[in-house]
Amino acid sequence: MDSLEDIHTGFQFSNFARNETLVAKGFPMPKSRKTGTTIAGVVFKDGVVLGADTRATEGDIIADKNCSKIHYLQPNMYCCGAGTAADLVMTTQLMASQLELHRLNTGRQVPVVAANRMLKQMLFRYQGYIGAALVLGGVDKHGSHIYSIHPHGSTDRLPYTTMGSGSLAAMSVFEVHWKPDLELEEAKQLVRDAIAGGIFNDLGSGSNVDLCIITKDGATMLRPYDVANVKGQRQGKYIYKTGTTDILSTSVRPIQIVSETVRKVGEEEMETA
Amino acid sequence: MATEVMEVGDYMRDPRKHHFSPYMDNGGTTVAIAGDDFVMVASDLRLSRGFNIFSREQSKIFGLTPKTMLASTGCWADVLTLNKVLQARLTMYSHEHHDVMSTTAVAQLLSTMLYWRRFFPYYVSNILVGLDEEGKGVVYHYDPVGHMEKLTYSAAGASVSQIQPLLDNQIDALNMKNVTPPKMTKELAHQLIHDAFISAAERDINTGDGVIIHTITKEGTSEEKIKLRRD
Amino acid sequence: MALEALHGITRYHSKNEMLRDEMMIPDMENLSNQCQLAIPSIPKGEVNVGEYLVDETGRKIKLNYAHGTTTLGFKFDGGVIMAVDSRATSGQYIGSGNVKKIIEINPYLLGTMAGGAADCTYWERVLAKQCRIYELRNRERISVAAASKLLANMVYQYKGYGLSMGVMIAGWDKKGPGLYYVDNDGNRMPGNAFSVGSGSIYAYGVLDSGYSKDLSDAEAQELGRRAIYHATHRDAYSGGIVRVYHIKEDGWIKISEEDCKDLHYKYADEKSAFS
Repeated sequence: MDSLEDIHTGFQFSNFARNETLVAKGFPMPKSRKTGTTIAGVVFKDGVVLGADTRATEGDIIADKNCSKIHYLQPNMYCCGAGTAADLVMTTQLMASQLELHRLNTGRQVPVVAANRMLKQMLFRYQGYIGAALVLGGVDKHGSHIYSIHPHGSTDRLPYTTMGSGSLAAMSVFEVHWKPDLELEEAKQLVRDAIAGGIFNDLGSGSNVDLCIITKDGATMLRPYDVANVKGQRQGKYIYKTGTTDILSTSVRPIQIVSETVRKVGEEEMETA
Repeated sequence: MATEVMEVGDYMRDPRKHHFSPYMDNGGTTVAIAGDDFVMVASDLRLSRGFNIFSREQSKIFGLTPKTMLASTGCWADVLTLNKVLQARLTMYSHEHHDVMSTTAVAQLLSTMLYWRRFFPYYVSNILVGLDEEGKGVVYHYDPVGHMEKLTYSAAGASVSQIQPLLDNQIDALNMKNVTPPKMTKELAHQLIHDAFISAAERDINTGDGVIIHTITKEGTSEEKIKLRRD
Repeated sequence: MALEALHGITRYHSKNEMLRDEMMIPDMENLSNQCQLAIPSIPKGEVNVGEYLVDETGRKIKLNYAHGTTTLGFKFDGGVIMAVDSRATSGQYIGSGNVKKIIEINPYLLGTMAGGAADCTYWERVLAKQCRIYELRNRERISVAAASKLLANMVYQYKGYGLSMGVMIAGWDKKGPGLYYVDNDGNRMPGNAFSVGSGSIYAYGVLDSGYSKDLSDAEAQELGRRAIYHATHRDAYSGGIVRVYHIKEDGWIKISEEDCKDLHYKYADEKSAFS
């Protein structure tokens, strides 16, 4: 139990050697859930628009048909993630709390560059073993920013970018239609089209288009912004009659009421004493 | 002036291992259901490699004779080659015997052809369907090296592990109490194929775009296309 | 011939030749000589083919053949009992639950199937042909020893190429009941009792504890059935239907085909009634 209490934060490596040995002996590592994804972001006249599809896969199987890939960092900053689902969630949660602490310490809104630097330094430290490819977007006093962050820690600041397995499909849309100082509706449509390009042409991406619009007045999540595919309708009814499952044995145990308490459910006054 | 590239002889490079990889998984799913006087065979229309879609309208069903059809998935190059060779054999047979080959004979021929390549197999999952000598629907399922099994229904390809359990449950009513297996009709077969494919398209990335359903009866064949999700 | 030439008709043989050339149809020698299989122009052996089962992106390509089994056969005073399960697995997937793993070579000879399903069915089908030819040539039935030797010699030709089969050939001939084990390494041996397959260790346990020469027919059939049932119970790769065959002087008869689930509850009921 000591070892458990010693761990305060970060990763635990004590099983690393064991797992390597197991892999060498032919026990493969369990598959982690990946978001073989299309994510994108553009800068427009008044801010940024981030977009993502909503498919998560485990190998060839769709594990989640409507997962959320646009993560909160700060009220003025969101981050799309592609890669290993668990890494993305934990990394963005960690960053959100670090950025919040930073905001409280400095007493001012955190600039997007700071989030970019913190993310890249963390990812570089782990040499690509944290499988997170990110599109970071936000608005601060310096203006609107989109960063793409690669799993090994390199970053680019760009007016428009895409990431994930559908990045080429999405980027082809941007390369044709993007222009400086897009209007909000134009930008929304552009990002939708880019993500839809990934959804239809990349098997790792699918289901719906999520958008997040960030301006100097704050952020709005549109989830879903567009349902790109309609689900097929079943023709048959697949209902099983009671008793279809064979009962092998039955045991009945009566519930004994020891005491009864009735408590009022509803809003109670906050204790202020 | 661009930097000049030095010509380096092969002997000066490090030894390189060239990997020979003749196989490719092109996805695709097939389903077949037989009844007393008909047989239905269906395939999805997606042809893919990895995360890319090659085609959204590629049927995986081949007509062999007026009353037999072959549904093949796996490595598409092998599917085409196998089909070409099989078609040629059938043509030779019809020239020689002035008659088309019976479904049972095609079934055995296919098994022998697959086993011929036992040590370098065709990477193909086959379902052969047709009407037998009495006009009854039959389904034959093959493994890549020619093990053959005669059945009344079967699924093969990418989504086999999603669809086969559904068919086992709905057609054979396996492991259920007080349930009698239904009589197979064209309506039921069509419904099961339709529902199996829309469900598979929901969860398997290699199945989608559309379904083509062929029905063989003694009157002839008919086909129908159904749309599936395209993501 | 002359008339054909006069009318410009080519014979169908040459027509076939032309057709074959045009479409570049590979000869499939095993259609005429079943013992001749394609030898790949790549280094021999399935082990090598296994190496190619990765596509250019490094993703694994699944090429699974039907595998996994429990089969058994034993001789006793009343003949030979053969009993098998019916499950075929490809990796973790149950490819079929209804395989006929006893192959009826002719009314006096049976073969079992363990290992690669295609290997066993193909070679035992070839064996059936050879046995029939033997009968026509020699006007008498082939002995079990000779039949099993034909099979062993055929598969020995492909030793090291990756065939996978462990089969029993059983029958009744002039010498009485016969039982041989043949496998892809070229082994061939006679014996009183064999069990082959992933569940064989469990089947042997039951078989050896209940085996004696002087079992009655019903006892022997039940011993075989129970041995397979217990194997299906403990071995995940075995299951489905338990089939029992009995070979007597006048040929084989099918004794029973029962679902192992029904057997399970039947045996459980018998056990609870006894205690």
